[in-house]
Amino acid sequence: MKTTLDVTRRGFVVGGASAGFMLGMGLPLGDRLGAHAQTGFPDEINAWVVIQPDETVVIRIARSEMGQGTLTGLAQLVAEELECDWANVTTEYPTPATNLERGRVWQSMSTGGSRGIRESEQYVREGGAAARQMLIQAAADAWGVDASECTAAKGVISHEGSGQSTTYGQVAEAAAKLEVPSGIPLKDPKDWTIAGQPLKRLDTRDKLTGKQIYGADIKLPGMLNAAIRQCPIFEGKLASFDAAEVKNMPGVKHVVQVGDDAVAVVAERWWQAKTALDALPIEWDGGEHANLTSAEIAAFVEEGLDAEDAITGNTVGDAKAAIAAAASTVEAVYAYPFQHHATMEPMNATALWTEDRCEVWCPTQNGEAALAAAAEAAGLPPQQCEVYKYHLGGGFGRRGAVHDYVRQAVLIAQNVPGTPVKLLWTREEDMAHGAYHPITRAKMTAGLNEAGEITGLHVRIAGQSILAGLMPQRLQDGMDPVTFQCLAAEGDHALAYTFPNFLADHAMRNPPVRPGFWRGVNANQNAIYMECFIDEVAHAAGKDPLDFRMSMLGNHPKNAAVLKAVAERAGWGTPAPDGIFRGLAQCSAFGSHLAACAEISVTDGNLKIHRIVAATDSGHAVNPQQIEAQVEGSFVYGLSAMLYGECTVADGRIEQANFDTYPVMHIDEMPEVETIVMPSGGFWGGVGEPTIAVAAPAVLNALFAATGKRVRSFPLKHHDLSA
Amino acid sequence: MALPKARVSMAETAKKGELVEIKTLMRHPMETGYRVDRVGKPIPRHIVQLLTVDYNGAEIFRMNMTQGVAANPYISFFALARESGDFLFRWEDDLGEVVTVTKTLTVT
Amino acid sequence: MVSRRAALLGAGAAGGFALLPGTASATVELRDQVLAELTRVAPVDTGRVTLTIPGVAENGLSVYTIVEVESPMTEADHVRAVHILAANNPIARLFTASFTPASGIARVATNIRLGGSQEVTALAEMSDGSFWQDRKQVVVTIAACVDGG
Repeated sequence: MKTTLDVTRRGFVVGGASAGFMLGMGLPLGDRLGAHAQTGFPDEINAWVVIQPDETVVIRIARSEMGQGTLTGLAQLVAEELECDWANVTTEYPTPATNLERGRVWQSMSTGGSRGIRESEQYVREGGAAARQMLIQAAADAWGVDASECTAAKGVISHEGSGQSTTYGQVAEAAAKLEVPSGIPLKDPKDWTIAGQPLKRLDTRDKLTGKQIYGADIKLPGMLNAAIRQCPIFEGKLASFDAAEVKNMPGVKHVVQVGDDAVAVVAERWWQAKTALDALPIEWDGGEHANLTSAEIAAFVEEGLDAEDAITGNTVGDAKAAIAAAASTVEAVYAYPFQHHATMEPMNATALWTEDRCEVWCPTQNGEAALAAAAEAAGLPPQQCEVYKYHLGGGFGRRGAVHDYVRQAVLIAQNVPGTPVKLLWTREEDMAHGAYHPITRAKMTAGLNEAGEITGLHVRIAGQSILAGLMPQRLQDGMDPVTFQCLAAEGDHALAYTFPNFLADHAMRNPPVRPGFWRGVNANQNAIYMECFIDEVAHAAGKDPLDFRMSMLGNHPKNAAVLKAVAERAGWGTPAPDGIFRGLAQCSAFGSHLAACAEISVTDGNLKIHRIVAATDSGHAVNPQQIEAQVEGSFVYGLSAMLYGECTVADGRIEQANFDTYPVMHIDEMPEVETIVMPSGGFWGGVGEPTIAVAAPAVLNALFAATGKRVRSFPLKHHDLSA
Repeated sequence: MALPKARVSMAETAKKGELVEIKTLMRHPMETGYRVDRVGKPIPRHIVQLLTVDYNGAEIFRMNMTQGVAANPYISFFALARESGDFLFRWEDDLGEVVTVTKTLTVT
Repeated sequence: MVSRRAALLGAGAAGGFALLPGTASATVELRDQVLAELTRVAPVDTGRVTLTIPGVAENGLSVYTIVEVESPMTEADHVRAVHILAANNPIARLFTASFTPASGIARVATNIRLGGSQEVTALAEMSDGSFWQDRKQVVVTIAACVDGG
């Protein structure tokens, strides 16, 4: 099995790419480590940096690249401290089993929660700094001078006193033999020359030329292909199937049960497997939810809006009493549906299983989680398993917490020991078996005094808890803190407004639909609830929405700063062009502070989003261009969700099957996005998710300005905006 | 046909002095007490707390469990074949339900 | 009223911890408190015990765990019990397996639950009153979604 990857590499045919690049990132590290098993790791300076004699700098990246740019950003941080020539930088993924074997020298591989950079910036920079120090030491040793007299820049080490200089490539071998130092001081971010710069991404060229391959593209020698059908009914099981009906169909090798709820056909080609699966008689045991509908789920969830019992997430003073005593009140109920991740690349994994080893090739947001899933399904210790990560054709949270597709691939491969099997879900299967954005409702109640100031605000969330569904052991006395994103008392998702009395509570209502972390998670709907409602209150009080917000942001100057920035850039307070209307939103999410101002028009009931000015304060900005790209990309995702995103339930299953029934926005619907990257320093906030949360409420508030209509249930496609 | 709640797998015969591997499986939710139901109410703890194994009337193995043991507790261990006789396996949960299984070992 | 320690030990007829989900989140300190209770503060040596557990688990719901202790398993010299302790589970003590010389060999395998990434301790209690242990780190990956790491 040790030779698998060499065989694999020869087996790829991708756009005439050279063998070394067929795995997209160059050689997986596991293969290199295998080759060097007898000699340790002779070509690495330390765990993070390999320098080759030709001056190529290979930076190891533990987190996954799924389009969000983390690969490039992390490489910038290492390169910054390394003082190498950025033009020579390439990257590779260490494999999860190697990480485990080496005592997690690369620490977490989890790529979610907008943590890729903010969680690892310190130790990756330390890795780069240590490698630099070792290279300098190696040169100093060779010259017989003190290392402190030497300097390094762009991969060249110089000793001013003697006028000598050498390159990283020339001293790498000697440097690799030195002890890895610790405690090297890191550069002040204001002195950065590689980090902090809008450098081009390292992975763009291969993606544009087709050199980049994804998990779904993998072809291994002798590989079989599998198509799977899982019980479409929530919590339903497989009752029976009649393999005899299809076993003689072209290419069919095996028809196998997978777990207790699925059946797969293994064939020579994937289309053969899929065709046979379509013809396979299957009986499902639908169980108790076989007749479940969206209407029943809605009634169940909405009952929580007025339920006596609710778990408090954040409370200040006595909101209910303040509302009861208020001069006037404003109340509104909002609703947010199930939504699907809808990654461009459907779930897939390729597995090779024998009695003593299991290897998996797959896209994953957490290589170690994929390894654990593979090992558990294989019935083998993780040391006897390996996962080769591929760049993801979209993750958005679907490939982070739940590795059902990896488990299935391994279970299927157990039927054909020694033969690799690629499991590829159809789009329909993918849509039917998501880890859906949770369904919630919110009843917003504000009490105002005579001056139109909020004296008390109650946010009652009714609906689904992600933690209760995925990891109940993380509930805190039954409270799901993730439910209170953007409403929390403190932390990454703190409520930025200061109200004299405030209550956010949650009546948990968990339908039997698997929830998941969906890019932006609960910040998406919570920001809509809060920011649209604040707009409602501002209008009810006859106040300017900007001034009204600013009056309550005194304790959160960073939020005030981003809001002010978008208002100024968008020209808030100055007349908009004819027919154009503006809306604002702000919040804190994933440790960053966000604001947006949208400009829209409505013509004959058709919404046109012209422009969104968005500001992000993530503390530090490792690659400002990538932050802009993330904000733009997240707006495609977030606005698609607002406009069209909805999974409905009938007969105990998700009704949407493909992009015809689960559309995303088209390029002509995309607004111009102006991103203001305004890192204020002193903290590390996330980037991949946070800004998504302000796009929808800014647009919805502009929509109200344009039409006088308050849209409080989503998606927008259900609402008639004419007249 | 309902599956038996508890199953024990072990050799029927063994040589005197031989180690006999015993594998037991109990169908039980091992409800932790940390999960919540559909409306957020805690689901009460419900766990198997104890497995005892008697060999010809004398206890040879015992396992006390908390909710830290996974659902459907699988427990495997060994016994030394001394003389022919019965193994009595007894599970007890925190609601007082008791399940027993008896296996006979012939020692040659 | 069940004391916090009793709750952590999983003792106490009332099973008080069942009433408050997630209240008793164990920590290294509480794990050590349980350890001290079990050993009656006797010294604990490292060795003789082998804890075999995967270094990584996806969701921690079922982690296959084997504990084996070197011992002649005679009347005079045998393993009385093996305790499995977790530093970061709601209940620090996962199970105790009690052996006799009739066990022949002190080995037990089962599936445990781990609520998050943590160190797992296998503590063996010998018939001579000595205590031995082995410790292993386990990464539970699903926790990274909310906690990082």
